[in-house]
Amino acid sequence: MTEIPSAQRATQHAGDSSATPADSGEAEHVAQPHGSSQHELSEHGPSEHDRPADGGSERSASSIHMQGLHKRFGNSTVALDGVDLTIQAGEFFTLLGPSGCGKTTLLRILAGLEEADDGRLTIGQRDVTDVPPHQRSVNTVFQSYALFPHLSVRENLAFGLKMRGVDRQQREERVARIAQFIQLGDLIDRRIDQLSGGQRQRIALARALVCEPDVLLLDEPLSALDAGLRSQLQVELLRVQKRLGMTFVFVTHDQDEAMVMSDRIAVLNGGTIQQVGPPRDVYERPVNAFVARFMGHDNLYPISRREGDRVTTELGELVLEPGTAGSDELLLIRPETLDVLPGTQQGANHLHGRVVERLYRGSHAEFRLAVGAATIQATINNRGHRLPEVDDEVTLVVAAEDLVTVAA
Amino acid sequence: MRKRTLKRGLTGFWWLTLVFLYLPLAVVVMFSFNAANSAASMTGFSLRWYHQLFANDQIMSAFGNTLVLALASSLIALAIGCLIGYGMYRHRHRKLGWLIVLIYLPIVLPDIVFGISEMAFFVKLHELTGWFKPGLGTMIIAHVTFQIPFVALIVYSRFVGLDPTLFEAAKDLYATPIKRVVHFMLPTIKPALISAFFLSFTLSVDDFVISFFTSGPESATLPIYIWGAIKKGVSPEINAIATLMIAAVALAAVASLAINRRKA
Repeated sequence: MTEIPSAQRATQHAGDSSATPADSGEAEHVAQPHGSSQHELSEHGPSEHDRPADGGSERSASSIHMQGLHKRFGNSTVALDGVDLTIQAGEFFTLLGPSGCGKTTLLRILAGLEEADDGRLTIGQRDVTDVPPHQRSVNTVFQSYALFPHLSVRENLAFGLKMRGVDRQQREERVARIAQFIQLGDLIDRRIDQLSGGQRQRIALARALVCEPDVLLLDEPLSALDAGLRSQLQVELLRVQKRLGMTFVFVTHDQDEAMVMSDRIAVLNGGTIQQVGPPRDVYERPVNAFVARFMGHDNLYPISRREGDRVTTELGELVLEPGTAGSDELLLIRPETLDVLPGTQQGANHLHGRVVERLYRGSHAEFRLAVGAATIQATINNRGHRLPEVDDEVTLVVAAEDLVTVAA
Repeated sequence: MRKRTLKRGLTGFWWLTLVFLYLPLAVVVMFSFNAANSAASMTGFSLRWYHQLFANDQIMSAFGNTLVLALASSLIALAIGCLIGYGMYRHRHRKLGWLIVLIYLPIVLPDIVFGISEMAFFVKLHELTGWFKPGLGTMIIAHVTFQIPFVALIVYSRFVGLDPTLFEAAKDLYATPIKRVVHFMLPTIKPALISAFFLSFTLSVDDFVISFFTSGPESATLPIYIWGAIKKGVSPEINAIATLMIAAVALAAVASLAINRRKA
């Protein structure tokens, strides 16, 4: 991939996550609260010429602050119920949750396509709560890609620049540069109806990136693609974001995708944020049962008694790491933290069970085991050892530090 | 065996249909080139009826009226119908079907009922205001009223066929409301606008009854002129007019087909 020269600078800016002075200046430049794009043309057009042709624009990523965002549809449906969230400049941030959790509504409020009923939204240094979408320096990659059918690929890419009043020569240069950056090759001269899903996705990405927005929003952009292409484009998207250092806000319902791509994840449910943190935190230390289940954890057991670091569940008594804080409601044991030993062995945090089901997956095997009246899942890496068979009596061992308590 | 008979029967029916559709037209076209002033026998090839036609001031004025009426009413109907079509699309969640029925109702009424009521209405308006004197103006108004629903429906169905996020993409890509219209909506619905225009134009040229009741003495269109002329018998001149109209319609049909094909 070829580097966009401005990208290097942007990446450096992104390092210090606080909003720099250049940040606020840029925000003013790109979209004035009252100025139409035509005004921008007359006021800022010439200064664009003065810049070195390769430099694009001097820019840095923008942070986003959301404060008490509320949104309801009709009288009954609450889409967002008081969202407070800060997204750092240059961050790859993911809004994760099931359908109807409010993640798309939140993204649409960021884009300006939906208005919050209450709350404030700041992008960079600028309060954009009441700014219409065409005056926000924010671009969206839509789930359906939303490429204009009456325009060629090239014209689609140039659309945003044209609307902003960037002159023809500049437009052509920037379109050519982004086409090279996203490696569109000869796609650029095609008609929209001649493109495959994956190609459309990349055109949609390029069309949004060419405008060099402060923030790029991505609304489940990969959900329509098949698995192979999907993981390939995940990598590509991540690379693009790291090179440009732009703030990306990504919406998905796929927790694997969220973990692969994100610097931080916000898990939403019922219009409220359940947990915000880096993928490891969200996966390994979910704060409540919803997050745990959404991240794919099934081994959740109500704690019937807790005395110091000792907890009792239907599995039996287990010892937590000393000083384990958190709620006393549920115990989470991740399947991959369990060791499966043959026979019946004694020790702390040793559970005795019987293999009920085994799913062989090549690199690893998944087991369902009966421990007393409870069932538990365990995942074992296939290192060539003998894998337990169904009906084998085995001992499950879990380290104290891998046990997590979770709110209900 | 029975299947083959059925197939042959259907093919025969198809050809019969075509014969009844096109043979009368062919006869008219043929007799327009007849050397003799007769609707009974061809005596030779001649363009004299066409010469007479273009020398006839009444026909030329009727032709001019038809053209002005069709062009003006189609353009006005296009503008208004386009707005209605977009409005229906914008507020499609509000169940506005009754609105369409409301504008459609006059169309499904017999033309003669619509024509007579328009006439009475315009006469009354003229008495009251001094404006709306029966003539090209009233005819244009009457034509626009029956063209609007067709335009609105064509434009509406084009909008409905679009991905709704396209509208959001245009906003997202910095297009102001006016730029959205100029650079997104109009180019996107252009094929619909073209076919709506052709349809309106044809409807206008086609119309006799409503034109007849809303016209004034100076504003006879070709159909009205022909109606007046055939009371004295079908002259070869009429055949010539008819032939020219057939040619024009065929040309328009081919053009609209070509435009559609290029778009698809």
